[in-house]
Amino acid sequence: MTVLLDAPAETQATGDEVVAALAARAVEARRLVVDMAASPRGCHLGGSLSVLDILIAALHRASAGDGTEVVLSKGHAAAGLYAALYVSGILPENPAPLYGRADQPYTGHPGPKVPGVRFPTGSLGHGVPYAAGWALARRLGGHGGLGIAVAGDGELQEGLVWETAQVAAAQGLGNFVLVVDRNGGQNDGYVEDISPLPRLAERFEAFGFETVHTDGHDLAALIAILAGDRTAERRPLAVIADTVKGKGVPAVQGKAGCHYVTIDATRAAKWKRAIR
Amino acid sequence: MTATAQEAPAPETPAPLPGRDAYRAELTRLAAKDTAVVCLEADLGGKGHPFQAAHPDRFFNLGIAEGAMVDMATGLAASGYKPFVSTFAPFAVLRAAESLKLTLGYLAAGVTVVAPYAGVSGAWFGTTHHCLEDLAVMRSIPGVTIAAPYGEAEMRAVVRAAVRSGEPHYIRTGRNAAYVSLPWDGEQDGAELPPVRWESRSGNDDVCLVSVGEEGTRLALAARQALHGVSHAHLVYVDHENLARSAVELGAYHRKFVVIEEHRAQGGTAEALALLLPAHEVTGVAADRSWPAQGGDHEEVMASLGIDLPAVFGAVHRARTAGRALATAV
Repeated sequence: MTVLLDAPAETQATGDEVVAALAARAVEARRLVVDMAASPRGCHLGGSLSVLDILIAALHRASAGDGTEVVLSKGHAAAGLYAALYVSGILPENPAPLYGRADQPYTGHPGPKVPGVRFPTGSLGHGVPYAAGWALARRLGGHGGLGIAVAGDGELQEGLVWETAQVAAAQGLGNFVLVVDRNGGQNDGYVEDISPLPRLAERFEAFGFETVHTDGHDLAALIAILAGDRTAERRPLAVIADTVKGKGVPAVQGKAGCHYVTIDATRAAKWKRAIR
Repeated sequence: MTATAQEAPAPETPAPLPGRDAYRAELTRLAAKDTAVVCLEADLGGKGHPFQAAHPDRFFNLGIAEGAMVDMATGLAASGYKPFVSTFAPFAVLRAAESLKLTLGYLAAGVTVVAPYAGVSGAWFGTTHHCLEDLAVMRSIPGVTIAAPYGEAEMRAVVRAAVRSGEPHYIRTGRNAAYVSLPWDGEQDGAELPPVRWESRSGNDDVCLVSVGEEGTRLALAARQALHGVSHAHLVYVDHENLARSAVELGAYHRKFVVIEEHRAQGGTAEALALLLPAHEVTGVAADRSWPAQGGDHEEVMASLGIDLPAVFGAVHRARTAGRALATAV
């Protein structure tokens, strides 16, 4: 996605103020995601809520204007992306009332007709090499900026992710960052029960990545991890961000069954009131 | 003894380059003038790639990772580069098919895929290295220009056009066979190739050979030597939009067409032309429904699939006689 020039800037704010501002955005975005779950189409609620803090932090990083591109590779979390783009000032309109409508671009998986979205994702795995290609282009042109791919842990079952990990390490793409939204769930249940990913950090390290482990809802930590200028780095960065599926909505938080949810307006209102 | 001017040997005409070598040479040449051109390979570019030697900073052998290569090329294209990616046709079109759909198709990314080993040019390497389905797959993806050049001059022209346009292209070629280019006046001035190239357009026969790709054209040229009066149109571009234009031109001159292509009949060019020319008769010389499971060289494997000179003669004969029989019956 591309950060537009009129996106809000926090450059004058202190670190704590930035975190507080982003946290407020996260609350607003979660409520928008619930609104989209209450649309006639429903949405991938659990993964949209788990990835929101990562997306908001990544978009904040991109707002530095150095050419950083953020690609949501787990495109089924489109509702989370649309909400994050809106609260970050990139989408000019509230996507929630428009989501899933015939005359609107806010489809269940995002495409480039949505302002701020450059690549089509949702067929899992592709966003990772898109971002790696972006990183390669930045380096080739002698520019700064990162190619940030945000992937799900279930998505890591796709071979394309590991093809790209191999290539990115071999090419020394230190400005490529892969953030794993490790919420532990996938469509049919828990990752652990379907196709577990043991020793995940070691895997990336074995490929030649630098690896960081963090709480994927700790905005201050995410901001700090993504803040760096990695132009001179030769090892790509894998950020394993532990998250909670359905984060922020007590009724569904931590439940694999919240992967795709359609709710009525009454329940949506109740869930939104519970989001802090 | 001193040789006189009359005795001096005539300057030798350089041997034509095979399609994939012509691609590499032309892209390397163009990249000297256009710094947006980048070259990506998936371990099948051969050693001593001229682009790597001339422009090492813009050459990337990404290893055996076709899907990642196409998607990464899209990231490069989004940044303003003109990436050319190359791997064997079966791996480009079938293994990376979803990437091609999403990027060259949906995103209209300015990526060019150059695919050697199209058809059964992989010959004795076997079925894994054959690709008789690429035109069917690629023609079904809107917005992709599909080229099947014959000879060095056409390959160079097609690569130039792809660089110039910055739009998605798929270019199929064979393995190492080289073909003498068809005469073309526009080569020197850099003109665009016409979608239909008339090698011969006689008015004596209502049957016209239509050739696609390297081997289809080789067979058509050979067949015309033995068939009096038959015309021959060679198609360079075989995507839907170009075929629709070509069909108009073909249909204006002839009534019956025998299309020769190294591809399965299903989803191939003959099938497409038949739909575009419902008032005309279109038959094809194409691969049958079998899977070659024996060795042999390129021509031998083609023959086992029913793509050879006798098949062309048979198709022309049937086209001619079927028309007469129909006229008699009426």
